This record gives sequence, structure tokens and C-alpha cells, in this order.
Amino acid sequence: MYHGLLFFHLIAAFLLAVTIVMYSAVALGATSSPRMLFVADRCWDVGGLGTLIFGIWLALNLDQYDFFDGWILLALLLWFVATGLGQTVQRGIGGDDIRSVIALHWIRTIVVIGLLVTMIWKPGA
Amino acid sequence: MTVLGVIRPDDWNIALFVHILGAMALVGALAMVVVALAERDLRLGYRSLLFGVLPGWIVMRGGAEWIASKEKVNDLDPTPSWVDVGYSVSDPMLVFIIIATVCAGVAVRRQKRGGALRGTALALTSIMLLAAFVAVWAMATKPT
Repeated sequence: MYHGLLFFHLIAAFLLAVTIVMYSAVALGATSSPRMLFVADRCWDVGGLGTLIFGIWLALNLDQYDFFDGWILLALLLWFVATGLGQTVQRGIGGDDIRSVIALHWIRTIVVIGLLVTMIWKPGA
Repeated sequence: MTVLGVIRPDDWNIALFVHILGAMALVGALAMVVVALAERDLRLGYRSLLFGVLPGWIVMRGGAEWIASKEKVNDLDPTPSWVDVGYSVSDPMLVFIIIATVCAGVAVRRQKRGGALRGTALALTSIMLLAAFVAVWAMATKPT
């Protein structure tokens, strides 16, 4: 059970990485197509939902983890921040203020890397 | 094994972080190459291979060797099958990356829609993307 949940949790995390890489390419000046942005946005939606669902399931499934462990609460906080930033980036990418959208994307990228750091180091565990 | 997976020495963390970060960059860049080549954007596909996939593979593979040396999994006899799966996927992937990059690069230089070269690069990249998910499955489930 643990390994299956971890697999789907990781797959969801990799979908988030697909979004981060595609948007980073756009932020660095690559030509963006509607199809690429569509793929990136759907990966963000599915990956975000998947990491949350399977992450919470993992926390509840294992005796070693408690839902109210500091690192799990921190991960949830970072997840909500990243999701909010992601939604803002998705809405703003076709607009006029592309510089602020790019800035928000880089902040989202740092938050997602922070999530990875939290998952590996598990501060407070 | 589950407990071992949950609790690991702190000095393994940085190697694991480098390995996973590289793997994420690699998979993200592979997905971008697939989308770019499917849309016949040869330049983006080529640049993604050169500046995304290849560096991602190097970081992932370097991180893998680093964490493997810390965990001493290569000293085990027999080597765990999930480690073998990891090597079986990652090492041939470098050859695929080089061939796909050369094909995409030549297609860009010829300034054509790509034809067989684009198709070859697209096929190789799609295979690598699928293989990467097999590797993720092996790393997560650690089949014996």
C-alpha cells in the first residue's frame, strides 16, 4: 500500500515538474504555443490534486507519520501557496503584464523546490 | 523496508535531493520536447534536448551515483532489482538523448519541417519519457 501511494504521489510531483519546466522555458524566452500551455496547465491541475490527495493518504497510512507533524503542515502551507500562485500565473499568462506573471512563476518555482526540500529533509519529524 | 524508506540518515538527504531534482528537470524537459516536436517546433525541441534533457540527465545520474554510494546498494549481493532497473533505464537513455539531439539539431539546420529526423527524435523522446516513469515506479515500489 505504502509503495503504491508513494508511486502515485511521485508521479503527481513529476507532473508539477513538467509545468515548472515548460513555464520556465516560456519565462526564458521560448516561443509558447496554446497547446504547450494547455499541457502545462493540465499537468499543474492533475499534479497539484494528486500530490495533495496521495500525500495526505500517505500521512494517514503510515504509523511513523502524524497528520499534524510540523513538516506535513509546512508542506500543506507551501502547497496552498504554490497552488494560488499557479492559478494566478495560469490566468495572467495571456494578459498584458507578462513581467509580473513571470515573476510569480519564479516564486512558484522556488515554492515547489521548497516543497521538495520539505519532503526530503522532513523538518521537525 | 517501509520503515527504512521513511527513516534515513540525514547525510543522505542532499544526494537524494540532487537525484530527484535532476530527475524532475529531466522528465519536465522530456515532456516539453515531446510537445514541441509534435507541434513541429524543431528549434524549441532541439534546445530543450540540449539545455534541458541533457543537463537534467547529468544531474539525475550524478545524484543517483552519489546516493547509491551513500546507501552502499552496489555492494549488496545480489544488487537489488530496483537499482538494476534504475541503471537499465538511465544508462541507455544517454545514447537516446545524444541520437535525439543530433537528429533534432540536423533537422533545425536543414530548416525543414523535420520529416524522418523529427519523427526519430520524437519517437526516442517518447520512449525515454515512458522509461522514466518505469524508473519512478521502480524507485518508489522497490520491487525485490
